[in-house]
Amino acid sequence: MIMSLTTKIGDVTTRNPMILASGVLGTTYSILNRMYEAGLGAVITKSIGVKSRNGHPNPSVFALNEIRSVINSVGLANPGYQIFREDIEILLKNSTPTIVSIFGENKEEFQEVLEGLKDLPVLAFELNFSCPNTEKGGTQIGTDPDLVYEIVKDLREKTSTSLWVKLTPNVSDIIEIAAAAVKGGCDALVAINTLKAMVIDIHAKQPILGYKKGGLSGAAIKPVGIRYVYDLYEHFGNKIPLIGVGGIFRGEDIIEYLLAGASAVEIGTSLGVAYPENMVRFFQTKIKKYMKEQQYDSISEITGRAHK
Amino acid sequence: MTKQTLPNDKPIMGVIVEKWLECFETYGFKIELPVKVQSAKPGQFIMLWVPGVDEFPLGIAGLKNSILEVGIAKMGPGTEAMHNKEVGDLVGIRGFYGKPFVPPEDVNHLLIGGGFGMTPLKLLTKTLMNNENKQNIHVFEGARSKDRLMYLKWFRDFHNQGKINFHACTDDGSYGYQGFPTADLEIFLQESETPSVIYAAGPEKMLKAIFDLGKKYDDVIDMQMSLADRYMRCGFGACSSCTVDPTGWRICVDGPIFSTEKLEKISDFGVYKRLETGEKKRI
Repeated sequence: MIMSLTTKIGDVTTRNPMILASGVLGTTYSILNRMYEAGLGAVITKSIGVKSRNGHPNPSVFALNEIRSVINSVGLANPGYQIFREDIEILLKNSTPTIVSIFGENKEEFQEVLEGLKDLPVLAFELNFSCPNTEKGGTQIGTDPDLVYEIVKDLREKTSTSLWVKLTPNVSDIIEIAAAAVKGGCDALVAINTLKAMVIDIHAKQPILGYKKGGLSGAAIKPVGIRYVYDLYEHFGNKIPLIGVGGIFRGEDIIEYLLAGASAVEIGTSLGVAYPENMVRFFQTKIKKYMKEQQYDSISEITGRAHK
Repeated sequence: MTKQTLPNDKPIMGVIVEKWLECFETYGFKIELPVKVQSAKPGQFIMLWVPGVDEFPLGIAGLKNSILEVGIAKMGPGTEAMHNKEVGDLVGIRGFYGKPFVPPEDVNHLLIGGGFGMTPLKLLTKTLMNNENKQNIHVFEGARSKDRLMYLKWFRDFHNQGKINFHACTDDGSYGYQGFPTADLEIFLQESETPSVIYAAGPEKMLKAIFDLGKKYDDVIDMQMSLADRYMRCGFGACSSCTVDPTGWRICVDGPIFSTEKLEKISDFGVYKRLETGEKKRI
């Protein structure tokens, strides 16, 4: 058999398991097209809500070199679904497999965004229940199993397009939230969003981020992501596809997520560099090399192996 | 031990060691950092953090050892807060970001701009003066009035010393000739018979006018323009707020300096830019 990177996530098929994570390189059709052309399997837009938001004051994104990570408090800056629709339409015209990340402060807002975009042939909608940088919605929803169930169930009734639920690690029991999302009828679970974090400058004697508090992504959170994906796979097995995200900087990290139980991965922080095309190429080469060495013909053969 | 350069990392605090009124509503600052800054190239930029207020991209006007020179026009709450800073106050710096100007040898160097665009052009002028045949450096600066011409004295002094050719103009005729800097640039191009490179920085609408002018002359072998007049959030290529269409180039890492070949592929150049929400706004 010929080795193939083709990846299945429920009803969604992508050419490989690498998907651009929401929030990085996702603000315009042009950068999303570019990232697909760089070789990713699919791309996810920046989270889109009902109306335009400026996000939080700057600084809202900066690197933490010591731990190869990034802290951000962008705060869901977006133009609103009515305006962003134009960018999505261009992506689809270009045949770029697109997943739209959506958020809302409550069920009604999620409904409105979904209703406004559901006629578009996107691969999936990713429900952002886990942004730590907002007062309402975000983690407030993602830490409440009843709300998660209610919103997923409601959106499920309104569309047959795949619904992915992005989980926050900032909970005491991720299984409880995940189970609520599965019960509501989602098609995949995405773990994890950023970890609550903060940086204080000792000379300025104040938090650096304009919003003071933020979310951490990058290499520092990879072991956390692996643990959550492992826990989710342990609980759900093949019942629901998992998408691993958090701190992927090397092809080996992708393999690690697959072994932990992921069917695919999302990559963000490590692509936020001058030459993201090179990163994608390195990842792809490494995955193929590993599959050849280990004599795997498909990505699905790797999924969950660490549990056997 | 002093680090050799400024890494792309969290802001490093520097202390303001000099502050002066440069021109109308524009202050110059010298900021001393705990790292050496010579590695920065003309056209690259920094993110300046005014603690508790804002952070914004800023061109580099000069560098020496551990001291960075910047020029800041009043443009919003962040720059206004910076204007209220005094010698001894701390501000944060991230950088150095972006691709610099790349001047070739043996050409006429035609630097043209206005407003905040004069900041990187000042550093470029200095670099060129160190390396090039002085006669070949021309600086074209335009402003609304004399009191808004940035670095007027600095450029005029080098002009008087015969180190550069400085062409100034104002909208109201209060200094230099009355009109836009493109007028003198065009006269130069009409008369010149040798290859030229145009370096431009400033408001994007002005850059587009310069670009359209430069395209008419075969002797203009390249144009290098700074598209830094756009919203930037992270500065290092992650957030994509500064992406141009349809190429997907990010101004902060794929620019801010773009050459003729690239500018021709940017369909929104001089047409629209993206706001911090991602929404398009006509220029």
